[in-house]
Amino acid sequence: MKQDKPNTIKRMLVFRLLMLPMVVLLLVCATIAFYLINYSGNQIKNELMRTAADHRNLIDCFFAEKKATLKFIIESNTLASMSDNTFLKKLLKNLQTESKAFVDLGVFDENGNHLAYAGPYDLAGKNYGDTPWFKGLRDKGVYISDEFMGFRNVPHFIIAVKRMDNSRTWYVRATIDTYFFNDLVENIRIGKTGEAYIVNSNGIFQTRRRSGGRLMEQDTEFNLYTTAKHAAASFCAGGRFNLEHLYAAVPLKQKNWTLVVRQATTDAFAPIAISALISFLIIAGGGAAVAVTGYIMASNMANRLKIADVEKREMTTQLIIAGKLAEVGEMSTGIAHEINNPLQIMKAELAMIEELFMDLVPLMDKGAEEIMAQVKDSFDQIGIQIQRCATITRGLLNFARKTDHKLTPVKIQTLLPQIVQMVDHRARVEDIRIVQEMDPDLPEIMSDANQLQQVFLNLLNNSIYALEQRSQGEIRINAVKNSADIIIRFSDNGCGFSRETMEKAFLPFFTTKPVGKGTGLGLSTVYGIIKGLGGEITLTSELNQGSTFTIRLPLNVKDQSHETA
Amino acid sequence: MLNTRLMIVDDEERFLKTTKGLMEKRKCIVSTALSGIEALEILAKQEMDVVILDVKMPGMDGVEVLRRIKQTHPLVEVIMLTGHSTTESAVEGMKLGAFDYLLKPCDINILFSKVMEAVDKKQTREQQMNQGGKDR
Repeated sequence: MKQDKPNTIKRMLVFRLLMLPMVVLLLVCATIAFYLINYSGNQIKNELMRTAADHRNLIDCFFAEKKATLKFIIESNTLASMSDNTFLKKLLKNLQTESKAFVDLGVFDENGNHLAYAGPYDLAGKNYGDTPWFKGLRDKGVYISDEFMGFRNVPHFIIAVKRMDNSRTWYVRATIDTYFFNDLVENIRIGKTGEAYIVNSNGIFQTRRRSGGRLMEQDTEFNLYTTAKHAAASFCAGGRFNLEHLYAAVPLKQKNWTLVVRQATTDAFAPIAISALISFLIIAGGGAAVAVTGYIMASNMANRLKIADVEKREMTTQLIIAGKLAEVGEMSTGIAHEINNPLQIMKAELAMIEELFMDLVPLMDKGAEEIMAQVKDSFDQIGIQIQRCATITRGLLNFARKTDHKLTPVKIQTLLPQIVQMVDHRARVEDIRIVQEMDPDLPEIMSDANQLQQVFLNLLNNSIYALEQRSQGEIRINAVKNSADIIIRFSDNGCGFSRETMEKAFLPFFTTKPVGKGTGLGLSTVYGIIKGLGGEITLTSELNQGSTFTIRLPLNVKDQSHETA
Repeated sequence: MLNTRLMIVDDEERFLKTTKGLMEKRKCIVSTALSGIEALEILAKQEMDVVILDVKMPGMDGVEVLRRIKQTHPLVEVIMLTGHSTTESAVEGMKLGAFDYLLKPCDINILFSKVMEAVDKKQTREQQMNQGGKDR
């Protein structure tokens, strides 16, 4: 029989019942989580993109509007009227009531000479012919500059328009209020760390960046969102968890600037992180719970299997024993029967010889008494030996008997103590405790009291023998009932049986006692009697630990002959 | 009782011979039969008081022989002798009206005293029947 260690079974169970489904479950959960996170990430990016695009439109609108305003001014006025400072001041004032964006106004001739100026700075009369913005304006007709310091030495940018009359070309320029523009651009709220700013094509800040980055400084992270840049497209840079920020960079339509909206990744992906954490905790917790329950179940199952296995082995052993006993029973019946016939003849012959001899006695001489005595002695001896053989065959037949019993009502709980009393003295001499645990409400059963007495006495004697020369000897007898039987157990903590002797224990002539001490018929007779009474007797034992004989007697004996096995 | 008419039925020839001798020494008139059939044939010819009958014999077994004896000669007492007491044969034997049941190997004196008891019983019954006959 294969002996699986329970741990191996447990491991196998855990693996088969748990690991595979769990791996599958985890894979499924992980896949779902992955896609969900990915999707949510994209959603967040798209949201940022949308915000950026909307904001870009707003800023483009602002530029378009300001351009249109200047266009309107230059188209609806003459150079002469515009060159008048007073008029220009009035115009600026009007403009500023309309929008706080305009800081100043300036009028220039074709060479970049500042003809008139309205605003806070003293810039009148300066020549702008060599400034980049003026050159750009001359070529393009409408010009929006990058932020620059200019003559006023303050960061600002301008919008300028050109008018070509038939006679001459002239220009109007307006400076846009940096703070106003800054506010316009910055005026965006995304999460805690969301911010918007504008860089030019070289990555120079055109507006302040709230999280650090002053006007006209180089944006050190510029390469992050220019690498992916292509014309008139919005795109996301960053967005991987190893980056600090998630970017949405959108080129403005009105100017070669880029509006950047960025948000710290920790902030942007916080909901995802939280949901990922929650799902991870759920998966981990669920997995742990499944693992624990699975482990417990597997342990229970393994234990149950182990118990079942032990029971099965026990049962197999009992079956083997029962089969063996049946076989031996049949054989010994035959043998005993066959031997009884010659014994009968011997007995008869002996009787005949003895009688003939008695007839001879008177015919003999006086001196033959001594010889006669010897012959008589021999006759007696033959008689004794025949009787001995008869005892043995009787024992054999008892083992395999189809019993002859007188059924009377028997109370186990009164019968057992009587028998214990019979061996009590011997037990006390050997220093053995006899503990009786009997259900006082055991029903009367129909059984053969004499035969039961023989059985109990035999078992007690065996136990006492097993406990000889052992300290702390104890015999426990308990009797309980279940639905159909009374169960009587005789347990001792004596020398026990080895596996081999256990299988032979009920066989006739099998004894562990030294020669001359036991016939080996005790347990076989016990077995025969219990079988005959419609019950069962089984033995469980552990070498040097003790033995337990369990007798099962039916509550209702069907009064019929019971064949052994 | 003297001159008890006894028949011993057994398949062991030597047993028959010796037991016959022993019983004759005890003043019985002994017939022997090696099988049930033979026993029934003898019974058909001769009157018997007691039959000692082995249960286990080849051919017709003891119980069957007992049944037939009781059918044809209800007054004959039968002592069953067997190598071992089996419930069926014992119970059946007693039901069929065997006088007693003895186990082999059986002591001759015990066997003889059983025979005597059986004869007493038979005589008692015969007397009762005769009485009954007279009463009628």
